[in-house]
Amino acid sequence: MTHVSIKELSKTYPGSSEPALDRLSLEIPTGELTALLGPSGCGKTTTMKMIAGLLDPSSGDVLFDDRSVLDDKPEHRGVVMVFQNYLLFPYMSVADNVGFGLKMRKVPKPEIDRRVGEMLELVKLPDLGNRRPSALSGGQQQRVALARALIVQPNVLLLDEPLSNLDAHLRFEMRDLIRGLQQKMGITTIFVTHDQEEAVVLADKVALILDGQLKQYEDADVFYKRPVDEATARFFGGQNFIPGSSNGSVFESALGRLVLPEGAISGAGKLTVRPENIRINGLDKGENSLKAVVSERLFLGTQTRLRLLVGEEKIDAIANPNEVENLSVGDAVNITLPPSSLWVLPT
Amino acid sequence: MSDRLKIALLLAPALSIIGILFFGGLLIGFMRSFNYMPVIGLVDPDLSAYVAVFTSKEFYLSFLLTFHIAFTSTVISSILAIGAALLLRRTFIGRSLINFLFQLNLTVPHLVGAIGMLYLFSQSGSFARLGAEWNLISKPSDFPAMVFDPYAIGIILQYIWKEVPFIGVIVLANMQSLGEDYESVARSLGASKWQAFIHVLMPLIFPGVLSASVIVFAFTFGAYEIPAILGASFPKALPVLAYQKYTDVDLAARPEAMAMAITIALLSALMIYFYVRYTRRRIRS
Repeated sequence: MTHVSIKELSKTYPGSSEPALDRLSLEIPTGELTALLGPSGCGKTTTMKMIAGLLDPSSGDVLFDDRSVLDDKPEHRGVVMVFQNYLLFPYMSVADNVGFGLKMRKVPKPEIDRRVGEMLELVKLPDLGNRRPSALSGGQQQRVALARALIVQPNVLLLDEPLSNLDAHLRFEMRDLIRGLQQKMGITTIFVTHDQEEAVVLADKVALILDGQLKQYEDADVFYKRPVDEATARFFGGQNFIPGSSNGSVFESALGRLVLPEGAISGAGKLTVRPENIRINGLDKGENSLKAVVSERLFLGTQTRLRLLVGEEKIDAIANPNEVENLSVGDAVNITLPPSSLWVLPT
Repeated sequence: MSDRLKIALLLAPALSIIGILFFGGLLIGFMRSFNYMPVIGLVDPDLSAYVAVFTSKEFYLSFLLTFHIAFTSTVISSILAIGAALLLRRTFIGRSLINFLFQLNLTVPHLVGAIGMLYLFSQSGSFARLGAEWNLISKPSDFPAMVFDPYAIGIILQYIWKEVPFIGVIVLANMQSLGEDYESVARSLGASKWQAFIHVLMPLIFPGVLSASVIVFAFTFGAYEIPAILGASFPKALPVLAYQKYTDVDLAARPEAMAMAITIALLSALMIYFYVRYTRRRIRS
């Protein structure tokens, strides 16, 4: 159980003028599961490799329980990294793969066999010890990679895009397995992902990294309700950004005067409301109700996407298909923007 | 026209060359090794050529020398090539130039290299003269015998010089395609650099090393020109001995030359088989 502190960590690769990671600071509490979220090339994996000791930082520090580990070799840090493509050793059996870390630590063979058996039980693959990795499905390979990492009882577990190579069904299964094992063993876990859904379903807290810099580090739901800026909101699927000005409780814009929730900033800014939070043709015609016209309609299977015009301003909304099945392009509708779903972003 | 026929027709020119020149030559050699040479009136096949070969002490000495040359060259070249590939896959200033220089002698013919070895390492060569000039040795002939020597040092040096880049290029390509992530996994699981190399990288690059070293072994075991130029007069490497028999003024010596050539081919195949089996088993364990 280890508290991880990342202090002003930067990395600039040789031959590059731009840093891959720029002064990242994070505190990851003991036993928590934290997601490093960001698009490809934003510095997530670089961060993980520096925590694991596989890459030297250009500047900054990594501390485990307030002790710098920069001088510790990777094999002495107590950090295990599970890579996105699992990287099971193809010439070894599943059991040998799982027992690899123990073998490197010169644990006696009977002890290795016993612990490998227990670990394979834990990841629900008790009968596959003799198989080669090539004979396993993607989900099974992921479990073996996880078992191989957990068997050495690391202080910190690093997971690189743990669910991205799995289909929808396996994602749920693996998510439950990873969370279950992480909570059972209490290992401080950091995983990187470019998928905000993966981050939200798995992590206690999410650190959003854009262009090598930390944008926001909060509980997952805050990114939907209180994003720090437009880029963060857009990364989490935000689509509506209406310019105007705020006095902290009311936002004035082309949409008119809209009541804001507590804590909204004052001054010039952009109002954001998530498409799924807009109520269409509801009975509530009180606070923050507006008249709109449907300008586009797109059926997406489980939801219908509507583009609405409020005066000249375009607003995107998502609705249950059954609730808007009678609406057509050109129809007038009443929409409500609940104050609790509004947020003002600085410009 | 069916795809199968198309493929057969496209392959026909290459296959006919292999079939006629290689297997045809092998068949003729095989028949002659059994004393079957109708041209000079030998029409009753027998084993006398093989008996002559296997009862000759010179053959066994030549075999031992040839095996020593092939084995030592292959092992040293493979080790040096792996080391070179490990260095060359790193990122450093001037890497492209070093890489280019490393591969440069792939383009130099063996014969040119052998003559270079003569100029440099013989007892009248450049190093011997420099040694005498700098008073490291009293006269050039005191320079240790590295060509025409019974241990075939010059031949082995020549093969190493030529084969290290050959194996190195294959191993380097192999390492670059693998990347360093497997080793990173091993390190984070607790392996030291050396353990990651032995337990992870070596088994992964092993197929490439094996293929390249088998080619080198087969080549060095059956090659004629380098032992002919740099080798001692006794014992001779097997291919040199076989060629000497083949070019004997007495045509009746040819079956013996052919028996020797067939034996070289069989021994070569047999040793490669055991080499592959042994190294595979070693690497798995």
